[in-house]
Amino acid sequence: MTLLRATGLVKQYGHVRALNGADFDVAAGEVVALIGDNGAGKSTLVRMLSGSEVPDSGEILLDDQRVRLDTPSVARSLGIETVFQDLALAPHLDPVQNMYLGREIMRPGLMGRLGFMDTKAMRVGSRSAFDKLGATVGNLSGAVGSMSGGQKQGVAVARAAAWVSKVIFLDEPTAALGVRQTRNVLDLIRRVADDGIGVVFISHSMPHVMEVADRIQVMRQGRRVTTYAAKETNMEQLVAAMTGAFTDEEVAK
Amino acid sequence: MNRNGAIIAGLLTLALAATGCGSSNPPSSGPSSGPLKLAFVQGVIGDAFYVTMQCGIEEEAAKLGATVSTNGPQKFDPSLQTPVLQSVIASQPNAILIAPTDVSAMQQPIQQAVQQNIKVVLVDTTLKDPSVAASAIASDNLGGGKAAFDAIQQLAPNGGKVLVVSVQPGISTTDDRAKGFQDAVKANPAYQDLGVQYSNNDPQKAAQIVSAALQANPDIVGIFATNLFSAEGSATGLRQSGRQGVVKIVGFDAGPDQVKALQDGTVQALVAQQPALIGRDGVTQAVAALKGQPVTKSIGTGFTVLTQANLNTPEGQAAVYKTAC
Amino acid sequence: MTSLASTRDDTAFLDDEGPRSRLARLAQLQALQILLVLALIVLIFAVLRPDTFLTPFNIRGTVVNTSILAVLGVGMTFVIITGGIDLSVGSVLVFSGVIASKVMGAMGGDGWGTAIVGILVACLCGLGWGLINGLLIAKARVPPLIVTLGTLGMALGFSQIITGGIDLREAPDVLVNTVGFGNIVGQIPVLSTIALVVVVLGAIVLHRTKFGLYTFAVGSNAEAGRRVGVRVDLHLIKVYALAGLVAGFAGILNLSFFQSTTISGQSNTNLNVIAGVVIGGTSLFGGVGTIFGTVVGLFIPSVLQNGFVILGVQSFWQQVVVGAVLIAAVYVDQARRAAALRGSSLQFPFLSRFGSGPRKVNR
Repeated sequence: MTLLRATGLVKQYGHVRALNGADFDVAAGEVVALIGDNGAGKSTLVRMLSGSEVPDSGEILLDDQRVRLDTPSVARSLGIETVFQDLALAPHLDPVQNMYLGREIMRPGLMGRLGFMDTKAMRVGSRSAFDKLGATVGNLSGAVGSMSGGQKQGVAVARAAAWVSKVIFLDEPTAALGVRQTRNVLDLIRRVADDGIGVVFISHSMPHVMEVADRIQVMRQGRRVTTYAAKETNMEQLVAAMTGAFTDEEVAK
Repeated sequence: MNRNGAIIAGLLTLALAATGCGSSNPPSSGPSSGPLKLAFVQGVIGDAFYVTMQCGIEEEAAKLGATVSTNGPQKFDPSLQTPVLQSVIASQPNAILIAPTDVSAMQQPIQQAVQQNIKVVLVDTTLKDPSVAASAIASDNLGGGKAAFDAIQQLAPNGGKVLVVSVQPGISTTDDRAKGFQDAVKANPAYQDLGVQYSNNDPQKAAQIVSAALQANPDIVGIFATNLFSAEGSATGLRQSGRQGVVKIVGFDAGPDQVKALQDGTVQALVAQQPALIGRDGVTQAVAALKGQPVTKSIGTGFTVLTQANLNTPEGQAAVYKTAC
Repeated sequence: MTSLASTRDDTAFLDDEGPRSRLARLAQLQALQILLVLALIVLIFAVLRPDTFLTPFNIRGTVVNTSILAVLGVGMTFVIITGGIDLSVGSVLVFSGVIASKVMGAMGGDGWGTAIVGILVACLCGLGWGLINGLLIAKARVPPLIVTLGTLGMALGFSQIITGGIDLREAPDVLVNTVGFGNIVGQIPVLSTIALVVVVLGAIVLHRTKFGLYTFAVGSNAEAGRRVGVRVDLHLIKVYALAGLVAGFAGILNLSFFQSTTISGQSNTNLNVIAGVVIGGTSLFGGVGTIFGTVVGLFIPSVLQNGFVILGVQSFWQQVVVGAVLIAAVYVDQARRAAALRGSSLQFPFLSRFGSGPRKVNR
């Protein structure tokens, strides 16, 4: 059931130990919230698990097999997708082009080898991906740069959700959004998880975390402090865990 | 291709096709009545030599009741002169006076002018095949070289070694000047010819040439520099060797920089061409050709030697190149 | 099935106007507008000089004079769309012509055998300089302005060393007669037809292939491209190599047309090409541009110069006007682009008839 497990991850940047033996795990179809105070190591952990950086030591297991996520491409090829806070969208391109960037569908035969793309197929594919997730991204031919924050988020998340097969990481997906857009993103998170994908999201917003997460993992000073089932905890407990009220580690069940 | 792209592609192809259709009959030569339209295409704009030529052209044209328009490229180069010439041809003058920037590259564009029933007169520089033009007028550069030697004789009458600092082999004008000078030197036993060195139109190189030459031959009496930068650099070389004023320099052309050098004593004499006369002769020949009168196919104009002594006489001032008409 | 929220932000239209993004359509709109500007300029000169301006001779001459610039403009458009710049195109043109002339002169002969070798040599020289540019920009991370300023000097310097500063003139007769003076049908010049082919190929590659898409992507957000696996560095190298190759080809065209390497005549070519590209709607900040806009943008200074000479206006005024048009074009383009990215209405709403945006669902 556990899709992705990381144990004992260590990462040092100069004098700073960003990760100090961090653990992590997520199961298929599960929504895990990763919370912690600033500097706890959440973003660093996500970078390790998405292939953007390599840990100094520690182990990562995907489907119980050891993997080395050396580059984002390797991670993607193993079915792990990530949406960072900057969304990594090209503002002048439309949602379809952004969706398929780096993974374009080429025309068959000679035309494809010459570089001609099957734009119709990509448009159809994008439409169904957006529809499936209920993402209201607006005009498929409009430049992404002219869309609202919520629509951009929708494009970025839909892109990751369309290509993901195992685990999707979202770094602060609701940080800059209004109420209604946040609603859409949270619904989208649920829908992705319902498809059997492991969804991990970092958030500073306790209400959102409580609303959509199945499990909550708390990080502090570069390690996992504790993990709770969302139903069994409350905000006070989470804040206490984040700020170091508990000195003992409680291992996840 | 999307709609707008297709429209634009269509328009561009149409423009291209437009070049192809239409009669290839040239227009008849100019308006049947009214003043004659002349056009002057300079070798490069902003050059005192060509400005002086323009003044001469405008003066003569006014006398003969013709109008003149003047155009030219930003640099002395056929790739820049060709579009200018083509536009001038399109404006349908009766005759064009042109200083071609290249003997072969300008051949075909000038031939196009002739095909459009426009008379062409070459001024200053020429073409590989000048026969397409009604007339070709230029300074007799061989004579100019000789005039330079005459100046050296005046400045250093006791004879001695002389050196030529030229630009590059292959430029017909400066080569002719050097040859004219050397022929005159050889004809005079009192003087010794140290040959020609090339500055590549770089004053620093000219300075090095002169310094080195003075090391080898400390008793040089005179240097002939066949153009402005060569003269500038030669003067610097003399100054660096402490021989300024002792060794005489004769330069070529009398633009504002050269005249200043003469006034400062950097050079002792200038061989000035007669661009205004070239221009006036050009107009005369063009009008004669247009009126069906006999033309002179080739005219060589002369020189004035300027020194500090005669610079401020009326003749001297007339020989100095103008920067505005 | 879908949560069709109807707030202003999450407007629920999913209509499908085709594969062009809105900013790409905006660029097309800019190209059309610049075409109108060109048409206006042509109209003004035609009215002022009806007998001399729109003659076949003059049209042909202007098209021919803009042909080599158009070829250079194709490569430059790709470069500027990536957010870079290439100042070395004029010098690379000269260098390629010089080497080709030397090689063809050494081979001797006036036939197509020599000519083809010359063409290949010129293109390879251009490609070489383009690769140098690309490697320094992508791998050594030196800014494009600096790199291409350096190669501008080096290529021209080498040309002057090799030739001693005097133009070379070796070109086989077949090249001079076909490319230089030749016509395809009637009076349609070979040179301009070749340029048109290059332009059309460039447009197809830029707007229809993955290579073109990646060019836009890199210019729009290179980091995003890297994250999704686009090999940005390699692509930049390819784009600059393409610009160099095109400049090399322009070099052999130039040699054939003028029978001279025109060493001293190319010092402003780079800026003239850049001005044309920018006037035509390609943004210096990258991400947007069209080939056809570039071609139209290049015609504007040519037509202005031609018209002014015919009118008898002093040539210095031409430079003043071209400079003003350049600034105006970029200003208008930036204003419209900013409006488009904000999602707000265009500054000139009457132009939206030309297809600038989708119809929106009622709120």
